[in-house]
Amino acid sequence: MMIPHLSKPHREAGLWRVMALLLLLLAVTAIISVLLGAGEVTPARALAVLVGHGDDEATFVVGSLRAPRTLIGIVVGISLGVAGALLQAVSRNPLAEPGLLGVSAGAAFAVGVALCLGASAATLRIAVGQVGALLGCLAVLSVVRLRGMGSDPVRLILAGAAFSALLASLTSLLLLFDQRAADEIRFWVVGSLAGRHVDDLLAILPSLVLALAISAIIARPLAALALGERVASGLGHHPGRVRLLVVLAVALMVGAATAVAGPIAFVGLVVPFAARALAGPDVRRTLWLCLPLGPLMVLAADIISRLIVAPSELPIGVLTALIGAPVLVVVVRARRLPTL
Amino acid sequence: MDVWTLWGRTSTAGEEAQCLSAPSGYWQFSIGAVSVLIERRGLWVSGLLLSVLLLASLGYLALGTETLSLAALWPALQGNGDPFSVFIVQELRLPRLAAAWWTGAAFAVAGCLMQTLARNRLATPGIIGIDNGATAFAVASVVGLGVSLAPPAMALIGSATAASITFGLASGNDTRGYRFIVAGIGIGAVFGAVTQLLLSQVDIDSANAAYPWTVGTLNARSLGAVNLLFAGLLLGLPAAIALGRSLSGMRFSDAVAAGMGIPLKHRRIQVLTLAVLLTALAVAVAGPVGMVGLIGPEIARSLSSPRGVPLVASALAGALVMVLADLVGRLLLAPVELPVGIVTALVGGPWLLCILLRPSRS
Repeated sequence: MMIPHLSKPHREAGLWRVMALLLLLLAVTAIISVLLGAGEVTPARALAVLVGHGDDEATFVVGSLRAPRTLIGIVVGISLGVAGALLQAVSRNPLAEPGLLGVSAGAAFAVGVALCLGASAATLRIAVGQVGALLGCLAVLSVVRLRGMGSDPVRLILAGAAFSALLASLTSLLLLFDQRAADEIRFWVVGSLAGRHVDDLLAILPSLVLALAISAIIARPLAALALGERVASGLGHHPGRVRLLVVLAVALMVGAATAVAGPIAFVGLVVPFAARALAGPDVRRTLWLCLPLGPLMVLAADIISRLIVAPSELPIGVLTALIGAPVLVVVVRARRLPTL
Repeated sequence: MDVWTLWGRTSTAGEEAQCLSAPSGYWQFSIGAVSVLIERRGLWVSGLLLSVLLLASLGYLALGTETLSLAALWPALQGNGDPFSVFIVQELRLPRLAAAWWTGAAFAVAGCLMQTLARNRLATPGIIGIDNGATAFAVASVVGLGVSLAPPAMALIGSATAASITFGLASGNDTRGYRFIVAGIGIGAVFGAVTQLLLSQVDIDSANAAYPWTVGTLNARSLGAVNLLFAGLLLGLPAAIALGRSLSGMRFSDAVAAGMGIPLKHRRIQVLTLAVLLTALAVAVAGPVGMVGLIGPEIARSLSSPRGVPLVASALAGALVMVLADLVGRLLLAPVELPVGIVTALVGGPWLLCILLRPSRS
């Protein structure tokens, strides 16, 4: 469809070649993420741990700080990247991004409420974040369908921005009253991977697996949906059901990622954008490429955020915004906004 | 198409003879060769808004954690009541009220100017990132990153930077429409990230000191910034009104505006400069309370006739919104004080959604 002079097997081979390259890049980034850090442990000492004979301090730092952080970065990156690709495919809007649409803000608000009500257990927070993300996702998408704004990609973003601003001010309203929650949430709300434990990782893995399974099931119907609802129905798919499953998967992933790492904006915009640039508009190929690209972006941003102002740290959300906002502008500046 | 505005000028005797009687809905005042048309409805609307604003201001002065009766308020205003209420009124509430007036007016006029310039009522400085630019630079000066300029000057530089980047990015295509606004949202996100970056650099006390800058409050204003804003309004509001005639033409397409003899290129730069200046000075006082720039002009426009750009009414409505929002913020959860930025966001967010969801007239 996109590259007419190549037969299908050739394109598939190209996709897998890109995929292998990206996975290699991801592996290198993950190792760098384990090796580098703001503290005392030098890359050489961390490397010694990796090959099996490190000293105690280095083993501790790598084993219980940097490795979980890297793994959580990978999980968060997969979640946000795939969620962005799904959302963009179902709304046929290249700007639909969980952070911009208010899904992350919904999750953040729900987590804020939970914190104010005294919750602190990691699993509870994740469930709460997922419910908030679900509500935020449903609110924005139903508003869009209600008004038929799906055809205007940019208005969707404005609605999302208004919705996010509203939820953000509600969240800060909550924090005015609860000093403890405010202290707990202040560092969480800008988004960071620092100080997360293996427990957090284990807590979000099931929902990620479930959401990825859903994505695998609906990839084909989504690709059909890109041709229009009637075509999709004609091919035997159920657009309504597909949409519902997308919302569910997005809420599972964004809610979990937000609960663990805080609202990290723009990953869901940049990653599918890059994936489409590499793989063309077919959502199935895009989804495949989002798997390595998402963690790649999150880990790279996380490494930079650790090093750029060492020994202190930058919130990772700052860096993704610095990377993502120019991409947003580029997408918008394109002479003709592509509808997916 | 009727584009009579507040200021009409008749230059030749022939023309004067043609419009000896003012068009309907206007009063005409002539001094020599110059005549002034004043729209009656505009006067009524301004009068109405002003009286509501004065009423709200009375409430603002009287209400609070320490409620004063109107009987106690009057002597306190003149400075000869009991010392406690004199202190409350003269030292605490009156300066804050003045700050609310000036910031509200400045945000609303800037919003009105930008909306007219971009021909889109969502294109207020708060939404297209000018507020965020000003905030980021002002925070840089508050947390003291080796920058020695005062917050107002830094806010000015920041908002000018944000505005020029947004316009630079968008002017390749068109400055109207949603595309321009989304470019602005992107720029705003970058500056928001920069603000977070700055706040994460400093110790917790400095971060707390800079917190008001990120939500918008009248509690942390500095006297110098308020005075500067007042001076800016004294210059800026008449300048905006003087641009009113061009502005009402610029609402139409470029071709129409050019056909009416409006030097579009110059006017655009002037309007943008004015909007940026007012926004920056207001942000330097109160932080980003950008929603006022959306709500104020919206109220003014719903009251005024569609013939002109309601600058004066916008200023009054903006001041009114600011006074009411701050009053609500002070009273609602007393003794905890809600920052005015949160109150306006809670009101303005749904409002913005309403505007977006309303079926378009076209």
